[in-house]
Amino acid sequence: MDWKLFDGFRRSVGPVELDLVEAYAQRRIGRRDFLRKGTIVGLSVPFMTGIIAACGSEDGEGDGVAGGDGDSSTEGAGGTASSGATGGNLIVAVQEGDANTGLDPVNMLDLGTYGLVSQSFEYLVGLGPDGNIASTALATGWSPSPDGATWTFDLRPGVTWASGAELTSADVAATMDRLAAQGNAGLAGVITEGAVDSSDPTRAVITLEEPNGNFPVLVSLFNAQSMITPADYSDGTTLDGRPEGTGAWLLDEFDPTNFTAKFTPNPNWWGGPVNLDSMEMRGFVDVATAVTAMQAREVDVIQSFAVIGGEGLLDDPDFTLLTPPAATHRQIWFHTERGQFTDKLVRRALAYTLDREQMVSTLFSGRAEVANDHPILSSLPFFDADATPQRTRDIDMAKSLLAEAGVDGLSATIETGNLGEVPQLAAIIQQNAAEAGIELTVNTQDNSTFYGDSWCPGGTDDRPCADADEFGIVDWGHRPVPDIYLGSALGTGAVWNASNYANPDFDTQLSNYRTAVDVDGQKKAIGEMQKILHEDTPACYAYFYNYLSGHSNSVSGVNVTALGHIITSAASKG
Amino acid sequence: MGRFILRRLALSLLTLFLLIIVVFLLTRVFPSDPARQLAGPFAPQERVDRLNEDLGLTDPQLQQLGRLVREVVTLDFGESFSQPGVQVVDLIRPALGNSAKLVVLALLLTMPISIFSGVLAAYRKDGALDRSVVTVGLATASIPDFVSGILLQYVIGVRLGWLPATSNAPDGTGFFSGFQYILLPAIAIAFVYFGYIARVTRAGSIEAFASDYARTAVMKGLSTPMVVVRHILRNSLQPTVAVTGTQMGFLFGGLIALEFVFNYPGLGGLILRAAKAPDFPLLQAGVLLVAIIFMISTLAADLIIAWMNPRARLGADR
Repeated sequence: MDWKLFDGFRRSVGPVELDLVEAYAQRRIGRRDFLRKGTIVGLSVPFMTGIIAACGSEDGEGDGVAGGDGDSSTEGAGGTASSGATGGNLIVAVQEGDANTGLDPVNMLDLGTYGLVSQSFEYLVGLGPDGNIASTALATGWSPSPDGATWTFDLRPGVTWASGAELTSADVAATMDRLAAQGNAGLAGVITEGAVDSSDPTRAVITLEEPNGNFPVLVSLFNAQSMITPADYSDGTTLDGRPEGTGAWLLDEFDPTNFTAKFTPNPNWWGGPVNLDSMEMRGFVDVATAVTAMQAREVDVIQSFAVIGGEGLLDDPDFTLLTPPAATHRQIWFHTERGQFTDKLVRRALAYTLDREQMVSTLFSGRAEVANDHPILSSLPFFDADATPQRTRDIDMAKSLLAEAGVDGLSATIETGNLGEVPQLAAIIQQNAAEAGIELTVNTQDNSTFYGDSWCPGGTDDRPCADADEFGIVDWGHRPVPDIYLGSALGTGAVWNASNYANPDFDTQLSNYRTAVDVDGQKKAIGEMQKILHEDTPACYAYFYNYLSGHSNSVSGVNVTALGHIITSAASKG
Repeated sequence: MGRFILRRLALSLLTLFLLIIVVFLLTRVFPSDPARQLAGPFAPQERVDRLNEDLGLTDPQLQQLGRLVREVVTLDFGESFSQPGVQVVDLIRPALGNSAKLVVLALLLTMPISIFSGVLAAYRKDGALDRSVVTVGLATASIPDFVSGILLQYVIGVRLGWLPATSNAPDGTGFFSGFQYILLPAIAIAFVYFGYIARVTRAGSIEAFASDYARTAVMKGLSTPMVVVRHILRNSLQPTVAVTGTQMGFLFGGLIALEFVFNYPGLGGLILRAAKAPDFPLLQAGVLLVAIIFMISTLAADLIIAWMNPRARLGADR
């Protein structure tokens, strides 16, 4: 430990950053978590490198990512380095977007639209090479106030809209107002209209409703709808209705019926000229067809695919597999207010029937991690490994819980969309539960019907999932911090709370977690929430699975996120 | 013949009117709230109510039905619900063109070989050739088009790379060169219809070969090909024409699974998306278009049969 060097760094930061530095120096968090959390609170790379050097590198942690399990394809984590070759048209296969929401940056809900709209619009906070957030987008840096309730974002100089106007903090303020008015899932309760002080056009100062140590993540690409749009955009304006943007690509043509889009390079992009001549995105209703198109090399990049049905790509030596860090999971929700799952004993009984290892093995060929009925990924710095024991299959326990609850002959329907491995997951749950005498019927619907009729059929304006079916499986995309998984899906009265779960103790811990700006405070609150969720089981979380994306070996320089973003500003073909 | 055509046209118009009512009622029994779907789950109720008014969904049902009749007569279905500002006809036109292209190619592949095989099987009735045509036809007709489509896609498109595996033609593809992109789905359709058409043709041809006029033609010394062309086909193809006519509606609007497999933007997929949205103007226009195609094709089939067989038109005139 180089105390002199360490002290020099320590004196130059505020209390929020200092707490993190101390946590790393005392080995309460590892290097990877220090880098991840440091980026979130706005520490610069040279600063963090200096701290690591001062503390010495004794933690033995590398920065590598989990590799595959013997597949033939090349694996490139979340992205690959560019070859620098110029010219060519890149064709990207994306999930077909929802025609109803269109290319509406504020109201979009699907990966296909995220991938498409984010070619033109950028976020305050971008993506780093490690899959974490970084100052690679519209903000060159950010820092919290000492209490973590106000965050200041320095805007990148020289950024212009396609119209020629300069990006200013007024654009950020207008965007945040629209998101707050719309009740954006990541920002609801975090900011309200008028939260942004835009008096300095080069700096956006955002005052939160309460302190939040993870706020930069909520205005990053991991809150997909938070992309910055011009101040004079209004609610309902779509990218195709008014092509704009500060990003590397400008929308040239969009066919909403077939969900195809063509882009040309933005000559005024702040990042300089792109390598490609043009880019095309093609929507595919069926992911199997997208996989076939990728195998036949009729597309160059595939946005996402599943292990089931994607074996041909996993075994393809000419395909580069991209596996960005992911907390993607399926939430198996129980309606806790009405129906047959109001008793937590019944919910826990069903949770004990699940064979999670079988799911990981059968559905993902091992490309997933077993979960423990809460949405906290074990690699997060504030995950509490000692909070609860891993729940494993125990049919006797399930039967005993059902008997204790006085339930005999439970039969229910699992509502699912037709997405990825979800129908197969439902079938496994059905088989698992049968051994405990629980008779389940699987109702697989097309995705629009499922989201509209089973998951969020309405209820109240601010709680569209209030009338959700009693039991179902819904998909959740990746977020680097679990704020949305906890706040929007499990908080009392929250917008996507299909379980209609309401527990004041959980809400208190959620608030503690959000307002804690130090790692220990976050870990304590998260540990309590892990225990509460394990006990109450408003939903089962059986696994977190790897997000799979990729491109042909003739393409390079593509980066992806587990939320559907495909960053092609440095891509080359050939 | 004139009276026959007029009578068939009048019947078609009546059928169309009944169809309009049925389509209108069907779209109104949808349980979903179109404005809510369009505005999104988080839109305020006032915006949803305003949208309902803008879409004309709060008007009396009779007024809405009258509007639909007017739209059909003027062929102006207004704007799409799901894509505001875009005319329904502008969405229908390319999809119809794509479906027509696929159907024409599929029929060009199917008809000659099916008819030839059917006649040949009838000529060699109960022989090895006949059994082969019947068995192969039964086998290919038993496999759904999208299943054979997936197999063709994988073997010919992916493994062998002889033809494009999906039907997305790149920019600048010419009209004729564009056909290679739909050859695989067309072959998948041909597989199903080969068995169907060949067996119908075979049955008609067996009857024709056994007829007095065919025997007389042979005894007069006409060669077999001449007998087939002059006497057999004219009679044996009538059921083939009738069957083909009744299948046109399905071929245009019912190939949804195949369109999805090949990512082909046809009419079936468009109608399904309109139903899921729900986009009432687009859905009504799509369904009525398929119905009109069905009526026109059956009318055309009747006219062809009447031309081929004077008894049919004379019977109709009486």
